[in-house]
Amino acid sequence: MISYRDFDWVLLGFVLLICTLGVVEIYSTTWGTKFAGSHIKQIYWIIAGVLLMFVVSLVNYQVLLENAKWFYIISILSLLAVALFGKKYLGARRWIQLPGGQHFQPSEWVKFVLIIALAEYFSEDTDRASLSDVVKAGLIAAFPMMLVLKQPDLGTALTYVPVVIVALFLGGIQFKHAMVILLVSGVLMPAVWHYGLKQYQKERLLTFLHPEADSQKGGYQLDQSKIAVGSGGIWGKGIRKGTQTQGSFLPEPHTDFIFAAWCEEHGFVGAVGLLLLYFMVLMRLIHNAQTAPDRAGGFVVMGVVAVLLFHILVNAGMVVGYMPVTGIPLPLMSYGGSSLLFMFLALGIVMNVRMRRFVN
Amino acid sequence: MPKTRSANPNTRLYILAGFLFFWFLAICIRLVWVQVVDYAFFSKQALKQQQRSIEVSPVRGYIYDRNGNQLAGSMAVDSVFAVPSEIPDTHSTAGILARILRADATEIENRLNASHAFAWVARKVDNQTSSRIRALNLKGIYFQKESKRFYPKHELAAQVLGYVGLDDEGLGGIEREYESRLKGKPGTMLISMDAKRRWFGRVEKNPDLGENVVLTIDEKIQYIAERELEQAMHDTQAEAGTIIVQNPHTGEVLALANRPTFDPNVFRIPNVQALKNRAVSDVYEPGSTFKVVTLAAAIEEKLTNPDEVIDCQMGSIIVNGLRIHDHHPYGGLTVAQILQHSSDVGAIKIALRLGEERFDRYIRAFGFGSQTGIELPGETRGLTRPVSRWSKVSIGAISMGQEIGVSPVQLISMISTIANDGVYVPSRIVMGTTAPRSTAQLVAFHPMEGKRVISPMTAAQMKHMMENVVLNGTGKSAILNGYSTAGKTGTAQKTDPATGRYSKSHYIASFSGFAPVNNPAVTVLVVLDSPVGLHEGGQVAAPVFSRVAQQVLAYLNVTHDVDLQDPRWLLLRAKVKPEDVAEGAAEQIITIAEAGPPGQPEAPAAPPTSDARLMAAAYKQTAASQAPAPQPAETAGTVAPVAPVRANGTVVLDVAGGVVVPDFTGKPLRAALEEAQALGIELEVSGSGVARSQSPAAGSKIPHGGHVSVRFGR
Repeated sequence: MISYRDFDWVLLGFVLLICTLGVVEIYSTTWGTKFAGSHIKQIYWIIAGVLLMFVVSLVNYQVLLENAKWFYIISILSLLAVALFGKKYLGARRWIQLPGGQHFQPSEWVKFVLIIALAEYFSEDTDRASLSDVVKAGLIAAFPMMLVLKQPDLGTALTYVPVVIVALFLGGIQFKHAMVILLVSGVLMPAVWHYGLKQYQKERLLTFLHPEADSQKGGYQLDQSKIAVGSGGIWGKGIRKGTQTQGSFLPEPHTDFIFAAWCEEHGFVGAVGLLLLYFMVLMRLIHNAQTAPDRAGGFVVMGVVAVLLFHILVNAGMVVGYMPVTGIPLPLMSYGGSSLLFMFLALGIVMNVRMRRFVN
Repeated sequence: MPKTRSANPNTRLYILAGFLFFWFLAICIRLVWVQVVDYAFFSKQALKQQQRSIEVSPVRGYIYDRNGNQLAGSMAVDSVFAVPSEIPDTHSTAGILARILRADATEIENRLNASHAFAWVARKVDNQTSSRIRALNLKGIYFQKESKRFYPKHELAAQVLGYVGLDDEGLGGIEREYESRLKGKPGTMLISMDAKRRWFGRVEKNPDLGENVVLTIDEKIQYIAERELEQAMHDTQAEAGTIIVQNPHTGEVLALANRPTFDPNVFRIPNVQALKNRAVSDVYEPGSTFKVVTLAAAIEEKLTNPDEVIDCQMGSIIVNGLRIHDHHPYGGLTVAQILQHSSDVGAIKIALRLGEERFDRYIRAFGFGSQTGIELPGETRGLTRPVSRWSKVSIGAISMGQEIGVSPVQLISMISTIANDGVYVPSRIVMGTTAPRSTAQLVAFHPMEGKRVISPMTAAQMKHMMENVVLNGTGKSAILNGYSTAGKTGTAQKTDPATGRYSKSHYIASFSGFAPVNNPAVTVLVVLDSPVGLHEGGQVAAPVFSRVAQQVLAYLNVTHDVDLQDPRWLLLRAKVKPEDVAEGAAEQIITIAEAGPPGQPEAPAAPPTSDARLMAAAYKQTAASQAPAPQPAETAGTVAPVAPVRANGTVVLDVAGGVVVPDFTGKPLRAALEEAQALGIELEVSGSGVARSQSPAAGSKIPHGGHVSVRFGR
């Protein structure tokens, strides 16, 4: 019935190429530091991710959609579990310690559940989303978001937003409703600012608006990122030769700021090349959404696109100074198992959808 | 409007794709901006972050005396610095360091906490302290060699050398005047570090050495001056004092001593007065010494000659309606005697002949009213009012050294001008600078171009009149053993700052002179400010002059031009009574001089042989007659008829073993030189053509090797 002839090998090729560049850059940035050897771990994660992708691609996405509400309930419970029993690290309660020393960050997976849940919600054919549709979809997203914000993890919470927006957009939200939502959020913004955000989150946002005001803290990271990127020039300084990266001036060079490290060591040419790869991946995904066998399938793929795009834009935007420092990793490149496994899981779903495009 | 099942989502997909493309484009544009356009800016920022340079003080150039003796040097000492990020516990480390350095622990701790990368703990500590700290092997504490100024001779020439601040910056004297050349260029200590401020290496750029300065000061002469000034300060309890020793021909200052003084090695100097270089920055009224200027100007202008008798009007004169009293009433005095006895009325009358304009011109020609240009900071121009601002009696006051302010270095320049046969040579204290190297090098001294103020003839006349001052006048205590001596005393009342009037108790006593008279090797000025008790130049400053000049001439191996006397001579010299040399004692002397043959005992209490006659006798003594110690009585007998007399403006002395000066006039240069060589005298030639005039005059006797100035003209 399903055949790996329809598996999107081109997409996988682009993805693995990006992952390889990520491994190279992780090797470069962690060389000689306490994180040395992280690139090997990253390779294991990639292998695990690819395997996961193949496994997920075998499971019919229709089954996932049918069980969407169970997934949703489980994810809400796991977030509650984090809030109650989570391991506190760097001031935030985001992780559950698993036996074997690994850390599990449920908020990453909730993103995926949200995609499924919203796709399922909008699976019925309607040209226009009614007001109640918009409100219900909003609530579906709002519960997990609130819990993640409580952790507090502003960055991850924000990644849910594009999923909702894309879902609403493709689900046929009317212009007037969209305007109302924008207005309401505009009005709510000051309240959120006062009661919803932690001090350091406010500082991060303020720092983004006025980076020169406080160069030693959050502004320092942005400054360092810009210096690293700028000093890379057109051709870059070469692997392991980025002075800002190697001298630890650049913060988190193998995770959040891996793009800055990449820009420093490979220059403008390397940076644009990498962005092109991401662009190809995204275009390929949108193509897959267009050719999806049903509306829900398209929604799932576009949900993945939304998450991926959001991560890339926010991360790259942060590195070049367009965006505040939010702690959002660059998908497929940044070191980290959770993020990587999520991406491959998401890609598995995409493959799943694609492989069933001629079914029915 | 009806739509197909997938039409709407597709449209919206395209919108999303477009949005995506827009964002990628925006990031790319931003990358162009940051990585291509602003590349230079960001790479500079990156470099700046990786390196921090810390200035390391350069090795200051040395200061040498004329013979290459080190007067100021630099030594390498340790400076202690910290890399605070490497220190496990800044509090305890600061405590330990504070105990060794005897410094404030909290202050050190604050400094350690102020920076992650670098903090000076203590700069330029002594070796003992640094080795104690080194022994502790504290984490994050490092050492950097820096240079520290030191003055091996301590107080010697302190005001000339000056001193430096904590960062070795010159704050006084030569240190300040030659700051830019002595300083050198600071080195840098480059620290490369990462963002966590871990120290990863340092590169040093060695500081450049500063240039060395070679002074005209002679350490030995300076030492003599310092020692004798110290003694004089002790003897007279003066508030301050200055001694300058100068080579009159070149203007080189061989010694310059001041009291009170200080040790430039000590940072905290208790007495600000001690820092002052009085020799260049103090202004005082020169008093009688200034009569030298008055007389020299008048003689040069041919308004008088040393033998003209001037009526001193029994000590009273009316200048423009204002009566001025002399300290003693004199009758008729020759011009030479006016100087000898320091008659005020006589000086005033001579000045009146000059007139204000002419007098002022000579005053300025002798260098008063402008800086000598000596290479020391804070030199004063003195107080010399323009003629337009003179009062009616100014000319009288100035003629005797009042209403005019001079600095010691200006005054010695004037005396040196007389000694240098009338040519003013600007005073200099720096021979030159040498390339940055910390070894001594000899430097040639190039004197500044001199300018003639008075003719050699006038100068010679002045010299002999000044010699007469020492032999018979107020400067008796200045007499030297084995050298003819010329000079002039000066006693000026200080102006009381409270009342603005002349003080009755505070005087500035001075003596300035040179020796040997005919070919002076040195000019010496002694100034004592507010001596207690005896306060006249002839009483307190002249003996100091004598002691300094005697030792300096001996050190310089200057050939004796008169015979050495046995120790009894010295004893007798020591017997010079203060009243004999006081300007007040002059009246008595002149009475005798007019009444009988010169050289008669002046004071009834004095022994039959007066000091003056004895001293004059020195000129008569031959080397042969030295063997049996001459009896004072014999000496007196021999001397009496030929004691200094007034003879054609020159004190003619029968110098046994000397040379009779031939008449050079009308002879061409070559013939004159040959004749002089044959006689063993030296010619000082000016002009060209045939000899027109000479000094001393033909027929006078000068010691072997003496100088005769001859002016040639066509």
